[in-house]
Amino acid sequence: MLNKPVNQRAWLAVLPVVLVVAFSGVIPLMTVVNYSVQDILDVQTRFFVGFDWYRDALRDERLHAAFGRQLVFSLSVLLIEIPLGIMLAKAVPRDSRWTSLMLVLLAIPLLVPLNVVGTIWQIFARGDIGPLGAALTALGIDFNYTQVPLHAWLTLLAMDVWHWTSLVILLAFAGLSSIPPAYYQAAALDGASRWQVFRHVELPHLRSVLMIAVLLRLMDSLMIYTEPLVLTGGGPGNTTTFLSQYLATIAVGQFDLGPAAAFSILYFLLILLLCWLFHTAVTAGEGGDRP
Amino acid sequence: MASVTLDAVTFRYPGSRGETLEALSLLVPDQSTHALLGASGAGKTTVLNLLSGSLRPSSGRILLDGSDVSNLPSAQRNVTQVFQFPVLYPAMTVRENLQFPLRNRGWKRADAAARATEMARELDIEPLLESGLRVLTLFERQLVAIGRALVRPDVGLVLLDEPLTAVQPELKWQLRKALRKVQTDLGVTMIYVTHDQTEALTFAAEVSVMQGGRILQTGSPIDVHDKPSHDYVGFFIGSPGMNFLDIEVRQGRATLAGGPLLSTHAADGDYRIGFRAEWATLGTTGLPIQITGFRADGLIDDVPVGVVTAQSGSTRLHVRHRGDLPGTGVCLQVNKYLLFKEGRRVE
Repeated sequence: MLNKPVNQRAWLAVLPVVLVVAFSGVIPLMTVVNYSVQDILDVQTRFFVGFDWYRDALRDERLHAAFGRQLVFSLSVLLIEIPLGIMLAKAVPRDSRWTSLMLVLLAIPLLVPLNVVGTIWQIFARGDIGPLGAALTALGIDFNYTQVPLHAWLTLLAMDVWHWTSLVILLAFAGLSSIPPAYYQAAALDGASRWQVFRHVELPHLRSVLMIAVLLRLMDSLMIYTEPLVLTGGGPGNTTTFLSQYLATIAVGQFDLGPAAAFSILYFLLILLLCWLFHTAVTAGEGGDRP
Repeated sequence: MASVTLDAVTFRYPGSRGETLEALSLLVPDQSTHALLGASGAGKTTVLNLLSGSLRPSSGRILLDGSDVSNLPSAQRNVTQVFQFPVLYPAMTVRENLQFPLRNRGWKRADAAARATEMARELDIEPLLESGLRVLTLFERQLVAIGRALVRPDVGLVLLDEPLTAVQPELKWQLRKALRKVQTDLGVTMIYVTHDQTEALTFAAEVSVMQGGRILQTGSPIDVHDKPSHDYVGFFIGSPGMNFLDIEVRQGRATLAGGPLLSTHAADGDYRIGFRAEWATLGTTGLPIQITGFRADGLIDDVPVGVVTAQSGSTRLHVRHRGDLPGTGVCLQVNKYLLFKEGRRVE
């Protein structure tokens, strides 16, 4: 062990990885950091502004509103999709010749491109020609997602549930399939009710897949952009403008690259923070009795 | 406490052509230990699943203490089970696991807690009562699983599906000892499924050897060893398995490959004789054999003792032998044998 040859040239072996990581992650991110601390007017004219853009972003009331809407949206999505996904996963027949067909059918919404999802629902929910909107109109409900904020929200949520619940179903189904039948037999012999089987056998075994499902849905819903843009364009008013769309308005619409960069960094940190909080909360719960 | 009766139980998996279990009958007396022994696919676990209620018989009846439970759901039978690996409720503590079956049957919290403590004391796991499952070794978890299976005082029958599989070899005997102890202390009936004959023969008062969905023989460990009802049982039980040789019986005399004559009462025809390695000796007269190997088990009074492997034609034979190996011209003398016809013992 002590006679290990020292060869500094070995560092060269690491170089490719360093370069790849630099180009894919660090350099683009540093560009954003660079913009976020300067006011750049043109190639020659630039001023260092420190954390001004950050302060402005944190004080921006329209950003606060978008942030609030974002939290409500992401939370609603999780609260609907996770329980619904588990329930539907339990309903998928196991060991049947229909199983694989059903799983393939369930996966279809996941394969639809995001802007197509938006377009589908834009037409589907239209009060005049869309099957859903027309049906609601026929029921005497004056459904109009372009005018009524509540209708816009409901349509958005329905769209996201349609689009992403399958992911939760597939993950939960995989988790359920991995539970050995002996657990069900033991629970039956112990006189456990169906709820207890779910609570004490299935849920603990689903823990890790559900954590992945929640993390994926949390990250994805926090970044949602294309579908609401196509469906409602953020309206009526700003009622369905979420963080990424507001960011796009600043960056591409108003070309305020400094504030947009500061906002981007904050946005990135927010997603990181929320996911970290969730992960820590879940793993702390199970780590309590570890040796 | 329960006696178990299987009355011509047949079981067929839906969609399968043949029967998994065919007209199986078995009687296990109250408070006794019974082992189901057989290779994998023999139908042992199917029997357990029928007894626990996770499967229903296609025909025939299952009786616990004389009452027909064939179509009762699992929860309504006084049956519990210990599985190949520790099956426990992962999010519960040891105590909660032990109390679970009691609480589900309407026990008050204090009574259930007292009973759980009693059970933990019986299994020597009292210090673990309040811990979660993560800190437990596989061995301790299996003890908890055994505790949960035995915690209900009204349990009459405990099913054990290869319960020692998951445990390290050096702890197997300890777990088996714990099982034997609770069995005698609590007086429950135990049905033990295994493919390991040592486990079966040392654990149970009675053994049933299964093959292809049937019970070939039920008897005490000594009986199935010394008087196998089928050549399969003779071959499966014992180490080494029983030796078999084809013979021909003519007018009450058996000719063994042109060799020695054995007298028999069997009718004329083709038979097989079966004999254990201990029932034959090496000598200078009898069936000529060729010795191919010797596995010494040890020395007794400085004389090697072990099993000789020999060949007679294409048949491989095992003979227990003491002393040095004889040279050339070795013959086999069969001192005691059983006569089989078409797989069954006739004499």
